[in-house]
Amino acid sequence: MFKDLDPILHSQLRLAIVSLLISVKEAEFTFLKEKTNATAGNLSVQINKLKEAGYIEIVKQFKDNYPQTICKITRSGILAFENYVQSLHSYLQVTPIDKPGIKK
Amino acid sequence: MEEKELSPQDSIVLIQSMIDRAKNTVADDSFYFLLWGWLVFAASIIQYVLKVVFQSPYHPMAWLLMFVGVVVSIFHGARQSRKRTVRTYVEEQLDYLWISIFFSYILFGFIFARFGWKNCFSFYMGLYAIGSFVTGRALKFSPLVWGAIGSWLLAIVATFTPFDVNILLCALAIIVSYIIPGYLLKSRYRHMQAHV
Repeated sequence: MFKDLDPILHSQLRLAIVSLLISVKEAEFTFLKEKTNATAGNLSVQINKLKEAGYIEIVKQFKDNYPQTICKITRSGILAFENYVQSLHSYLQVTPIDKPGIKK
Repeated sequence: MEEKELSPQDSIVLIQSMIDRAKNTVADDSFYFLLWGWLVFAASIIQYVLKVVFQSPYHPMAWLLMFVGVVVSIFHGARQSRKRTVRTYVEEQLDYLWISIFFSYILFGFIFARFGWKNCFSFYMGLYAIGSFVTGRALKFSPLVWGAIGSWLLAIVATFTPFDVNILLCALAIIVSYIIPGYLLKSRYRHMQAHV
């Protein structure tokens, strides 16, 4: 059986953000913007969606008088990402059997 | 990044590419190796010249140079932290490693000041090796690992040789464990920056 793909993560930009955050301890908004090539507005919207889902936490602070937004993946974000990758595996393992001549 | 319908294959490719991009975010870790490498090298040579050539009783004063390293490291660290936009797990663990090594230097200094400096260089070379070895393994950078092995071997040799020779062995240990790997690390960083 296919596992349902988490709709929060099954979006290009949100998945990119979580994949970056899973690899590092924490990252600034500017880092995520540079690596995803997203616009600041779009990135901000998607980050807030991830925060509302409890997948990331956001710390807003000032550094040298400039506002700074730091993002960090949460425990439930890590679990959601692991489940999402597991679901992807379920899909991808089934794909070859769908080929003609291969018995399901 | 444009939003589009993701297939499972697209998702896997996207995850892989983002993880690769995060992995390519490397800091220039060579600064501290070169700073401390050259300072220890200079202090060793100055101590040797003062002790052996001029027979000065003030030869241990050469190691006051280490305070320069502390001040420069603090300023550089503060500047880097202002510029940093991401913090990796490896960087965090290495920070803890170097903090613990720093306190071990102070502890060793205290112990040797109480019980004598005769065998101090073997212990210091051992500490150079620990820092280089763990950093080398964490950054997957073999020159640091080989430098550490070299420093451990020189630490063993230093148990058989007199104090004056050990000063020069210390200079040699810092060349193999900090200075040479430091330059190679700097060149790797520049190479990676050029290909990001």
